[in-house]
Amino acid sequence: MKRLTAYGFLMLLLLSGCGAQLSPDEAQESIQVIAMDTAMLITTYGERSPAAAYACEDTIRDLEKKLSRTDPDSEVSRLNNAGTLEDSESELRSILIQAGQYCQKTGGAFDITVAPVVAAWGFAGGDGYRVPSQKELDRLLELVDGFAVKGNGQTLSLGPGQSIDLGAIAKGYAADKLVGVFQEYEVPRGLAQLGGNVLAYGDRPDGTPWRVGIQDPAKPDDQNAFAGVLELTDAFAVTSGGYQRYFEENGKRYHHIIDPATGYPADSGLTSVTVAAGISDGSGAMCDALSTALFIMGEEKALDLWRHWDGTPFELVLVTEDGRVVVTEGLADRFTPDESGGYAYETVS
Amino acid sequence: MPMRPSPKLRPTAWDALVVLCVAALAIGLAVFQWRGGTQESLTAVVSVDGEEIDRVSLERAAGKRTYQAGAYTLTVEYAAGSARVLSSDCPTQDCVHTGIITRSGQSIVCLPARIIIRLEGGAAKDGGVDAVLG
Amino acid sequence: MKPTTKQLTLCALLTAMALALSYLENLFPLSLAIPIPGVKLGLANIVTLFALYALGPGQALLILLARCFLGALFAGNMNALLFSLLGALSALGVMILLSRLRGLSLYGVSAGGAAAHNCGQIAAAMLTLGNSAPLYYLPVLLAVSLLTGGLTGLASACLFRGLRSTNLMKG
Repeated sequence: MKRLTAYGFLMLLLLSGCGAQLSPDEAQESIQVIAMDTAMLITTYGERSPAAAYACEDTIRDLEKKLSRTDPDSEVSRLNNAGTLEDSESELRSILIQAGQYCQKTGGAFDITVAPVVAAWGFAGGDGYRVPSQKELDRLLELVDGFAVKGNGQTLSLGPGQSIDLGAIAKGYAADKLVGVFQEYEVPRGLAQLGGNVLAYGDRPDGTPWRVGIQDPAKPDDQNAFAGVLELTDAFAVTSGGYQRYFEENGKRYHHIIDPATGYPADSGLTSVTVAAGISDGSGAMCDALSTALFIMGEEKALDLWRHWDGTPFELVLVTEDGRVVVTEGLADRFTPDESGGYAYETVS
Repeated sequence: MPMRPSPKLRPTAWDALVVLCVAALAIGLAVFQWRGGTQESLTAVVSVDGEEIDRVSLERAAGKRTYQAGAYTLTVEYAAGSARVLSSDCPTQDCVHTGIITRSGQSIVCLPARIIIRLEGGAAKDGGVDAVLG
Repeated sequence: MKPTTKQLTLCALLTAMALALSYLENLFPLSLAIPIPGVKLGLANIVTLFALYALGPGQALLILLARCFLGALFAGNMNALLFSLLGALSALGVMILLSRLRGLSLYGVSAGGAAAHNCGQIAAAMLTLGNSAPLYYLPVLLAVSLLTGGLTGLASACLFRGLRSTNLMKG
């Protein structure tokens, strides 16, 4: 009897083990978060996917609490209101240091102190859009100088009258943090869409790369119109374009990416810029900051910067007003053109 | 203390009936889920601040519905297989600019109202994309 | 009805054994073989089953409640209490009903109880998460419960066979 029991025990274990094997990938969790002025969608896989997804939400909410311009208690608001902040946390300092680097490397095309100008256009949220007078812009442009943001130990300070907006780097920084969350929770794969920022972590459940479409800037209303599709594994990609947040006045269209040099929406001949880079420390923030800056700089300067870049390598997809899609060499074999858009495709090196 | 009936210690034919009932329940549930999983039609899920407030099947046109959230009112038009925001009194109009969505995974977002309209279910995303940049 | 000292002692002993068995089965995590949440052998069910026949539904319920509360307390995880309570109460409820059916043996009662246990846990998961996603696991859990239920039935049958000669079963 004893032996029979033991055999029965074993058999049952084996049977149940074989019959009910489920892939851990089937466990998956998707959450939507409205934060940082955008809608975020995060999908995590693996056995700990629900916990990981909620940890992602906490991370984002925590960042937003520190970086929000609208929350009067945030570190950024306190810095903006007082001009100095004595007890800043390392997180904000780290973002400001990165912002300073990209400001310098892009010749001021990326500048977090452009905030007062952006606010004058109404793109900082609130009362709706308007075209500021040239006089007003001239006055506000004098406040724009990314190098006036200083840090000394824990103390941060702005130039007189300055204010900062981290909207063009915060989501990329958040994407960097999510990589840390994914690693902590041993998420085998995941996809995070943070309003124009995509973190493609690992590969798809079927083992192929994540397929990320680049919206056709000429058809912003058609969600199935792509300038092309990127195949990404363990990568960040960020697109900046002027086709989604805009308003029209007297028949002219004004979009939300303000050139710190002119105070006007950037008019560089590009309709969208996509920056992609592999996952490494700080590369999410880099992609975010560069996508804005290169959109302002235009095709020629953008490609120049790409050729002479000495930091973490990145690749580009530029869509131009005259109907071309320019793909940099390193991305060419991971980029599929979408012929229906009528674009001429070029690969540059 | 009354004597309790001593339990039967050898399996009986009635035990098989219990096993059959449980097995039938398991198989029935599995079949139900499997059918539901593959044949689930395209559905628009409307949420405010992450909280689901409406769910509209897009198998056939479902007309217009209005949603109020925060201080704003959105009118959404549901056609067979697609959804779009017809009008909104939000200041940014981003949701109206988003246009028509037709595929599972696509969404329309109205930030001022904190409304997300997202499509779920429908045909597998063959040839489609997992995420959209822009 | 006031319990006799013997019954009280037996209740305490059975509670301790149920707790020990719960701990023991954590040493053999069945969820390694079947990687879905909620899969376990349910050895503590042997005690519930025994108590049900030896002491009656009332005291079986008391033992079960003590086991759930103490188990959650020892594990320092009060969140798990809802899961174990809903699971164990459903199991006991179904087993009380099934044990009234004269045609059924321990195996049938045990299998029914194991299946009910899983239903209760899934219900708890659905309550906690606020959606019906956990229902997805139920078919597999039910299939597994037939096996684990049969196993605990077998163990209980051996137990009763061994105790037949003692006076424990006579109250």
